[in-house]
Amino acid sequence: MKALEIKGLEVIFRAWRRRAVHAVRGVDLSVEENEVVGFLGPNGAGKTTVIHVLLGFIEPTRGEARVFDRDVRQSIARQRIGYLPEHPQLYRFLTGRELLTYSGRLFGLKGSSLRDAVERMLEFTGLGEAADRKIASYSRGMLQRIGIGQALINDPDLVILDEPTSGLDPLGRLEIRRMIGDLRTRGKTVFFSSHELSEVELVSDRVVILTAGRVVAEGRIEELMPAGKRLEQYFVEVVGASWAREAAGS
Amino acid sequence: MRRVLTIARIVWLEMIRRKDFYVLAIILAALLFMLLTADVFGLGSTPRYLVDSGLLMAWIASSVLAVFLVGRQLPAEERDGTVFPLLAKPISRGQLIVGKWLGGWLACAAATAVFYLLVTAVAVLREWSPDWLTLLQCWTLHVCALAVMSALALAFSTRLTYGAVVTMALVIIGGSIWMLPQVPTLAMYASGLRMDAMLLLYYLLPHFELFDMRRRLVHDWGPVDWTIFARIAAYAALLAALLLVVAWLSYRHKMFRRSELL
Ligand SMILES: Nc1ncnc2c1ncn2[C@@H]1O[C@H](COP(=O)(O)OP(=O)(O)OP(=O)(O)O)[C@@H](O)[C@H]1O
Ligand SMILES: [Mg+2]
Repeated sequence: MKALEIKGLEVIFRAWRRRAVHAVRGVDLSVEENEVVGFLGPNGAGKTTVIHVLLGFIEPTRGEARVFDRDVRQSIARQRIGYLPEHPQLYRFLTGRELLTYSGRLFGLKGSSLRDAVERMLEFTGLGEAADRKIASYSRGMLQRIGIGQALINDPDLVILDEPTSGLDPLGRLEIRRMIGDLRTRGKTVFFSSHELSEVELVSDRVVILTAGRVVAEGRIEELMPAGKRLEQYFVEVVGASWAREAAGS
Repeated sequence: MRRVLTIARIVWLEMIRRKDFYVLAIILAALLFMLLTADVFGLGSTPRYLVDSGLLMAWIASSVLAVFLVGRQLPAEERDGTVFPLLAKPISRGQLIVGKWLGGWLACAAATAVFYLLVTAVAVLREWSPDWLTLLQCWTLHVCALAVMSALALAFSTRLTYGAVVTMALVIIGGSIWMLPQVPTLAMYASGLRMDAMLLLYYLLPHFELFDMRRRLVHDWGPVDWTIFARIAAYAALLAALLLVVAWLSYRHKMFRRSELL
């Protein structure tokens, strides 16, 4: 079974008296179970939009998306997904522990399994000390950690991270990288967007590059690039070429 | 259902942790205290007057609380971006709507109960002997009205900004309580299209005045007949359900703007 499958996805944002924005223009994409896939693309390429479709925030204008063979429009499809938003914004009036408990309940955990999961996540995110402080007082790094905690509380099989390393210091980025590696060894699937290409290179099995709502390159890193070439260089070339085509075409 | 209750609990937690909630509570307590101690028009000594004005305040305060509390839920979730991690959980938009409504409504019902207890306690100290059954009916129908008000505010808040929700809901609630009962009389003096429009308005808008049993309580008219009571409660259930369906229809496919804080 595929962890994630997108077919012919198009998203057009229409708003009253405003120009329609064609954010995703026909994306086909699939991720196998236990794969780590980096989702790349310049700002405004449509990465967050695709991720929002996967979570049911946005309905596709055309095409479909499935997670573990369930249509993402069904709320049950999200039972096996853990999601970290682009800028995690969580209830500031709750403490870290309360937020984890609340998230666990929404996943249907209860009783001792809920308590165990909360303790496990507090330990995993290293927030034990700050567990009973209000989230309003958390730093950027702590917010990211508690955001990861609320995403992983249900031990999800597919983890979707939208720019997990943005705003983090080098140590924080290293921790995220370790976490992704750890998820992979535990048989999980990770689909994450990022601009930190050197990080992506280190942790991904495969990358997908999106430009202006289209997939312009896709594959295993070693297949895409001759040895010795950096992902960053490749990215600039591919995106540049795609923009040039676009300019010539229009 | 558990997930719905989990969402409702967050509404309560948020309410009791907000500073403005305490400010509102303190202002109300001060007003109530003034009302109960001051001898306005020399009537202060009659407990009936106390109950009447005390419960009028309960109506105003609980309606305002319902509109402010329930009306801000969805706009705040969206503004703060917390709606994304929330909807990323395996809950449906319908569950979110019901949870927010239930949480807000029950919070208002509890606040109203406290208010009624206070007013009753003070009036009893002034030697009022209430008809307990009528008092219970009075509170229950009040809570029924709050269910409708909460659903109304929630339905507006699926598409409007917080400020607009508060204005619209308060205008409708206030208008329906104070003006709607006068409409049939006014319509008699109108004619043609204007009369039709007035009557249409009369039948379309929710009739909150039906839920107000204060006069029965104050004048010792005794409890209302249970079949009538049940009909009014059913009217509330129907209206609330209808408004929740409207809220759900309007929220079901809603796309959210990314947070403005970013
Ligand atoms: N609600 C919306 N209404 C109109 N246009 C939108 C909306 N949301 C996104 N867009 C547009 O869709 C395009 C894709 O945006 P998206 O946020 O998906 O890009 P991204 O790849 O995540 O970018 P970044 O790397 O900056 O996060 C952009 O042009 C954006 O302006
Ligand atoms: Mg993005």
